[in-house]
Amino acid sequence: MSSVDRPVRAYVESTIIMTTARIVSPFVFTFGLFVMFHGAESAGGGFQGGAIVASSIIVVAFAFGIEPTRQWLDDSIFRLLIAGGAAAFALIGLGAMALGGAFLEYAVYNISHGVKYGIELVELGIGATVAGVIVSLFMNLAAGLTNDADGGDET
Amino acid sequence: MSDVQLPVIAILLTFVVCAALAAAFLRDILSAIIAFAGFSFGVSIVYILLRAPDVALTEAAVGAGVTTVLFLLTIVRTVRPGGDRLFERIKVVPALLATGLVAVLLTTMRSLPRVGDPNSPVATSEITRYYLENAYPQTEVENVVTAILAAYRGFDTLGEAAVVLAAGVAVLVVLRKEVYV
Repeated sequence: MSSVDRPVRAYVESTIIMTTARIVSPFVFTFGLFVMFHGAESAGGGFQGGAIVASSIIVVAFAFGIEPTRQWLDDSIFRLLIAGGAAAFALIGLGAMALGGAFLEYAVYNISHGVKYGIELVELGIGATVAGVIVSLFMNLAAGLTNDADGGDET
Repeated sequence: MSDVQLPVIAILLTFVVCAALAAAFLRDILSAIIAFAGFSFGVSIVYILLRAPDVALTEAAVGAGVTTVLFLLTIVRTVRPGGDRLFERIKVVPALLATGLVAVLLTTMRSLPRVGDPNSPVATSEITRYYLENAYPQTEVENVVTAILAAYRGFDTLGEAAVVLAAGVAVLVVLRKEVYV
């Protein structure tokens, strides 16, 4: 029977996948943060780092089940990340205007290496927004599936 | 480009083209998605060999990683087409259109500069020279790509972040409605 309607499969525990995810995901997460913070010196930046950070959380969700992961990391955390990241970027720009410079003119922040830190903060903001959007997309796309599996009715 | 890299690039490009064709013609959507992930991964390695690590990172993380996962989640809700055929039947008109588009694009290939050409307009341009000379003194950032994105073109990048934010919020609102109503 080449299936025309494929039943939604519930989450199945796998020791191998869980162990691999447990070992790999912290490193992936750290690498994502490295790419985000280190975008100023080497390849990378907020966008790439955010995607890598998000993928480390997706790995965890695949290994340990999407529903437990959603209970562990509440949706509101990611809403906060999405809004906070974009807001941080805009506020850094507006803050420069408040200090009498042009929009996003990092040099008016009167701290040493202000331009560099400004750029890194901006990258961090982008990273937070990107990571939040990706993880939220994943969780919300998967939400219906787990509901089906819990309810046990396949439609 | 060094002599060692040429065969590597040739093999990679062959792989990329085969993966792209597989993604287009395979009938089973799951197989097509896996082929598409392979395509993205191959392209990201090509980017590394072309000295564009920033683009390569994006392609690997978003193209091969995240997009694949989102596609996988989406096809669980779809049905598998019946029948045992391995490949999709090719429709004549779209195939002709696609071939025509590729032919038109290929005609522009001759006017592109060679890879690594020191006389290419990008390398000799006044703007390139300005950024390479001033990016570090002005921003204290060693990655010129980051300096341009976050400092010289910071306003553009803010716009990009706003696009990600708006698109994300819009899609999440739609998805949430579907789940909780």
